[in-house]
Amino acid sequence: MHTFHIRYRNTQGTLMRILNAASRRALDMPFVQAEPSEHDHSVVLTLEVNAKQVGQLSRDWYAIADVVHVHAGITAQTPGDLAHANLPHRPSAAVMAAGAGTQQALA
Amino acid sequence: MRKGAQIVLDCLRAEGVDLVFGYPGGAIMPLYDALEGSGVRHILTRHEQGAVFAAEGYARVTGKTGVAIATSGPGATNLVTGIADAKMDSVPLVCLTGQVRGPLIGSDAFQETDVFGMTLSMTKWSRLVKTIDEIPAVLAEGFYWARSGRPGPVVIDLPTDLLKASIDFKGPVQFTPHARTADAKAEPAFTDTVIALLQKAKKPVALVGAGAKLSGAIDDLRRLLDRLNIPTFATVHGLGAIHPDAPYYLGMVGMHGTRAANMALHENDLLLVFGARLDDRVTGDPSRFAPDSKIVHFEIDPGQLDRVRACELPVIGDLAETIPAFHAELNHAQLPDWSQWRSVACGSDRAELDPRGLAQPTIRFLDEVFSRLPKNNVIVADVGQHQMWAAQRFHSDSPRGFVTSGGLGAMGFALPAAIGIQLAQPETTVLCVSGDGGFQMNIQELATVRRLGLPVKMIIIDNQYLGMVRQWQQLFYQRNYAETDLSDNPDFVEIAKAYRIHAQRLNEDQMREYPVAQETANEIDRFLQSPEPELLVFDCHPEANVYPMVPAGAALSEMLYEEE
Repeated sequence: MHTFHIRYRNTQGTLMRILNAASRRALDMPFVQAEPSEHDHSVVLTLEVNAKQVGQLSRDWYAIADVVHVHAGITAQTPGDLAHANLPHRPSAAVMAAGAGTQQALA
Repeated sequence: MRKGAQIVLDCLRAEGVDLVFGYPGGAIMPLYDALEGSGVRHILTRHEQGAVFAAEGYARVTGKTGVAIATSGPGATNLVTGIADAKMDSVPLVCLTGQVRGPLIGSDAFQETDVFGMTLSMTKWSRLVKTIDEIPAVLAEGFYWARSGRPGPVVIDLPTDLLKASIDFKGPVQFTPHARTADAKAEPAFTDTVIALLQKAKKPVALVGAGAKLSGAIDDLRRLLDRLNIPTFATVHGLGAIHPDAPYYLGMVGMHGTRAANMALHENDLLLVFGARLDDRVTGDPSRFAPDSKIVHFEIDPGQLDRVRACELPVIGDLAETIPAFHAELNHAQLPDWSQWRSVACGSDRAELDPRGLAQPTIRFLDEVFSRLPKNNVIVADVGQHQMWAAQRFHSDSPRGFVTSGGLGAMGFALPAAIGIQLAQPETTVLCVSGDGGFQMNIQELATVRRLGLPVKMIIIDNQYLGMVRQWQQLFYQRNYAETDLSDNPDFVEIAKAYRIHAQRLNEDQMREYPVAQETANEIDRFLQSPEPELLVFDCHPEANVYPMVPAGAALSEMLYEEE
């Protein structure tokens, strides 16, 4: 299980686009919670995904015009473990620029 | 005071739009009522799918945003294939759809569909307009997203009562996007990393996709590749980006790519990707794709990274910025001698075999036509075997000279797209190459061609089958040609005549001798040089196949060839 925290401007269809990125991959969504958050909105999703899907989803979400920020992933045994885990997470691979990838690429 | 419909048209003009494609209907009638005198020319197609493909064709060759208009309900649903096509192939497109009156929305009113909802997954951005006051802002933002970054489709749904209402209009507005602090972008240090990878590489190659064209970085890319001088190949949308006679250029890569390109892509140890998605038609089996390769992916859209195979180094940004930055640093770098690798990858041992087998007359026919085209031309291919034959025989350095529905593979694309291209470039010879299946999917647009008197040159490669599907049935389904037989096709020459379009037919026998008989050559020249629309039907052997072919799920090195 992975949890994703996505901050977005609550414009028409933005939440649906976020959810659609998961549903088009036929992923179950055992936990979804959307709510106002400071000046924006945020949604927390729990999904059963592999590492490749984490990257794909993060990039898909970030490509949505009104998504402000994407935090991807910690693992847990159950969705309940994640529901209240408002921990800060590293940005996803979507924002990995060359500097961050240098060591990996040259390895 | 101006009506909502007038405001929409004012905003289109403010975005530089002077040509739109569409089909009227109930909910969008106020917009059509306001067209006259607006400065926006409307092209009436005979089906909404024709309109959206025509708008795509216009956008693909100009780089401008194409605009398609349809009414609510079935008008809107008929746009959907074109919207999906624009998403897959990164085409800037704005679709304006009429919607039932605001108070009726959600009541299953006559011709009501939720076009906003049904296109959410295939649009880059969309809005159902709620008030007349927001029309200028919505139009401005829609056009911004359609053309910014990786271009794509936008849908703006316009309730008919808003189009009829009036306000004191202050004029079009501009859209400024919200800043996102973590917007992905390559750091300057990427150049050092790529150079370090190049210096360690023994078999580097380059893959060019559509992104190089979309970014306007063609000249920069060509200079860079001249400097690198490494084996280079293109996706179907990258055709024309590299001069076909460049000594390091190996042609098209992928399922029906050249032997040399596919072998080099399989064997390399460093792959530089410039604006390509690395989709499954290019990679073959992802698990066996370029097994020894490290991938450096120059890409504007982070969403395209790692879709099929993870890259070692993403270089995120506009190629118009990242390529010159890379080249500037490269000028100070010492690069290895790759001449031995180049001589293997580009050597005569890997040259393509002279086309053989049942497809030979068709390939010779395309060669004859292509070689007689004026320099200023665009080839538009539909989807199927003829598309791949045309792509294989395309030999031009015109970056936007080959247009096709690549990602979605939408049959019926070519004829309406050719209309949009011909309108965008009246002086260009537009050659539309279709199959007998695809041509019938938007055959009604012959009426649009005739009405406008467009000198589009249309070819049908008529094998009386859904040829590519039949080819797969032959190779992978034990020749069970289930429901692909089109031998009861209508007479396309007579059909064209009914639309008052001159048409003629050539057959394979006329292509068996080389060079072709003078009489046949004259017929082709007359076809191409006519100032009128023309249709040329070429009778192709029903069992001609496209080779080489990488079967689905195979590695690029496992190409099939025609059996002798």
